[in-house]
Amino acid sequence: MKRLVSPLLAGCLLAGLFLQPVALRAEYGDVVINRQAEKNGMRPVVFPHWFHRIRFRCKVCHAELGFKMRAGSNPITMTDIIEGRFCGACHNNDIAWSPENCDLCHSGKPGLPTGVFGGHETSGPGRW
Amino acid sequence: MNIPKTIALLASLLAISTQIHADAVGKDVYSKVCVTCHATGLAGSPRFGQAADWAPRVAGGMAGLYQSALNGTPKGMPAKGGHITLADADVKAAVDYMVAAAKLPKSEPEARKEEPKKAEAKKEEVKKPEAKVAVIAPVVPPSEAATALATTASAADANSFNRLLKPANKRNLPPPEDGIHDPANDGTHALQPPLTAFGSLPKSLAGNRVNWVEAIAQKKINPRYDRNDPKAEPIVMDLNIVREVKGSMPDVVYPHKQHTEWLDCSNCHPAIFIPQKGANQISMAAILLGEKCGVCHGKVAFPVSECRNCHSKKKDMAKVAIPAEAGK
Ligand code: HEC
Ligand code: HEC
Ligand code: HEC
Ligand code: HEC
Ligand code: HEC
Ligand code: HEC
Ligand code: HEC
Repeated sequence: MKRLVSPLLAGCLLAGLFLQPVALRAEYGDVVINRQAEKNGMRPVVFPHWFHRIRFRCKVCHAELGFKMRAGSNPITMTDIIEGRFCGACHNNDIAWSPENCDLCHSGKPGLPTGVFGGHETSGPGRW
Repeated sequence: MNIPKTIALLASLLAISTQIHADAVGKDVYSKVCVTCHATGLAGSPRFGQAADWAPRVAGGMAGLYQSALNGTPKGMPAKGGHITLADADVKAAVDYMVAAAKLPKSEPEARKEEPKKAEAKKEEVKKPEAKVAVIAPVVPPSEAATALATTASAADANSFNRLLKPANKRNLPPPEDGIHDPANDGTHALQPPLTAFGSLPKSLAGNRVNWVEAIAQKKINPRYDRNDPKAEPIVMDLNIVREVKGSMPDVVYPHKQHTEWLDCSNCHPAIFIPQKGANQISMAAILLGEKCGVCHGKVAFPVSECRNCHSKKKDMAKVAIPAEAGK
């Protein structure tokens, strides 16, 4: 019986996979970060994975800089960024443009929840 | 004393003209804002064009619906759909449009008050499916018409060829059109459209539609392995782990090579996987729940729909020699 249950469950989940919201037209892997931003009067932050992975391996952010691979689990504040942590490790006017370009990061539609967008197929945030 | 009167008059005139355009505005607001959630019922929202979803809500009266749309609800409807800059009237028009599209039977108390106008709206609704292109195309600029068509397709165009598969013109959209960036934000227009970057990269059929493994292998991109040092070389480990799969699916070959091109050992070991062959319970159910391989695949790395990428080793019993896809 047990053997049967797992493929069945997988089958159900797989069926769900093709019914994901197609209306979300965002680029695959875009992460919206909106823990603090909107509460503090800024648009949510949109982080594009595709853009950054052309320039950096995952390891740079997710091992070296300590970004946890779980949407919404990194307590990022503007103070951190200006002092060179998280996004600020690169967005420091040396490796990439400085934090004063607010609207390049704070570019999300108001009201969006934190999470990965772009037709992701596994329910998140990741668990382990 | 005259000025306030004039204003009142103007206001009422405005109100009348708003009424006339309400249908068009409602549709516009719906297809730009509300569609994000209401097209598919994201987060439990009532789905566009689904009478069953709307009937119990409309039964409570339109006033309540307007209130929910304007001020939001604790169950996930954001105030004005998250577009706080929308005019109240436009949001209400969107509600009217959505309720009309639900095509509820003729007995709602509130909606019936303006008989003639609503009847006309109904007629238009009915007419839409067959005459849609002809009716919409001349009025709206082509790109907008396309958006409106595609976004309402699930409701209006019941027998469209692809109901759920994302059409080609909906892939890799530039930021202002992608549904999560705010087009009203100046910075949005300064961002790079994905296709500009992807043009020269090897293609794949899912995710970003870029084959990221090949992109590195063919040296089309050389993402930094170190934040500061562009010359740092990744520590690549070539070790394949074959996971036998019960049933008919080909076995899974997990390649360390392609992963260590991108990732550090500490990204997976020991938090996600114990570094010992066979020590980890992995199943498709877990993957689809975002565990194990699903921590990355289906979110940032290629999605789960690409079965063959992982299930790449034919069963021994098939006795067919195939090139080991994953070992390259
Ligand atoms: C490199 C990208 C980036 C830039 C540039 C940037 N921010 Fe942020 N900002 C973030 C991220 C990420 C967060 C965390 C968002 C969250 O958790 O909701 C954040 C959070 C905030 C917050 C709420 C949390 C806090 O620390 O108060 C405010 C307010 C804010 N930013 C304002 C600004 C302003 C003003 C500017 C321009 C001077 C700016 N940001 C530029 C990425 C950026
Ligand atoms: C430039 C930095 C950067 C790079 C490079 C990067 N990421 Fe991320 N990643 C982030 C940020 C920021 C988040 C969001 C964290 C948050 O919301 O707190 C994130 C989130 C994630 C998540 C969590 C998604 C979820 O729904 O929980 C996964 C998985 C992930 N990244 C995988 C990858 C993979 C795989 C790569 C390499 C192909 C990669 N990342 C490259 C910065 C990066
Ligand atoms: C971020 C997702 C999201 C967006 C965008 C959104 N809605 Fe909703 N909406 C919801 C959810 C979730 C519910 C169900 C909430 C509930 O039951 O209280 C809902 C419910 C409603 C309801 C029924 C409320 C009730 O009292 O029964 C109306 C009307 C509505 N939305 C109108 C709109 C309009 C108009 C827009 C566009 C301006 C819009 N929504 C945009 C998520 C969304
Ligand atoms: C490992 C370094 C690094 C980190 C960490 C990083 N970025 Fe970037 N980011 C870059 C580089 C490099 C660019 C390209 C800069 C340029 O065009 O001059 C960039 C560009 C961007 C862009 C513009 C993309 C475009 O279309 O031009 C956005 C938006 C952005 N980053 C957001 C973020 C946010 C939000 C975070 C934190 C959650 C973050 N970045 C963390 C290196 C980084
Ligand atoms: C993307 C995730 C990932 C990364 C990154 C990764 N591994 Fe693994 N590793 C795995 C998986 C999955 C297994 C198989 C575990 C199983 O079969 O239960 C494994 C197994 C192993 C094993 C056991 C092999 C055996 O025959 O028992 C060793 C040793 C190992 N990894 C070392 C490393 C080292 C060293 C690195 C960094 C260079 C690394 N891994 C990077 C996912 C990863
Ligand atoms: C920490 C994130 C992460 C985890 C966990 C992970 N992968 Fe990957 N995987 C990647 C990335 C990044 C790539 C590069 C390709 C891409 O991004 O689409 C990749 C590529 C692959 C490839 C290479 C495809 C090719 O074209 O050569 C295979 C096969 C694969 N993964 C299988 C697995 C399996 C099986 C598991 C679970 C045992 C797993 N992965 C777990 C991130 C991950
Ligand atoms: C990211 C890699 C990956 C992708 C993509 C993938 N699988 Fe799997 N699949 C696995 C792994 C790992 C296992 C577990 C193998 C084991 O038992 O050790 C597995 C197991 C299975 C099983 C056995 C039953 C179970 O749940 O363990 C079936 C059936 C299956 N996959 C079907 C599919 C189908 C169908 C697709 C495409 C829609 C798919 N898989 C895509 C990695 C993947």
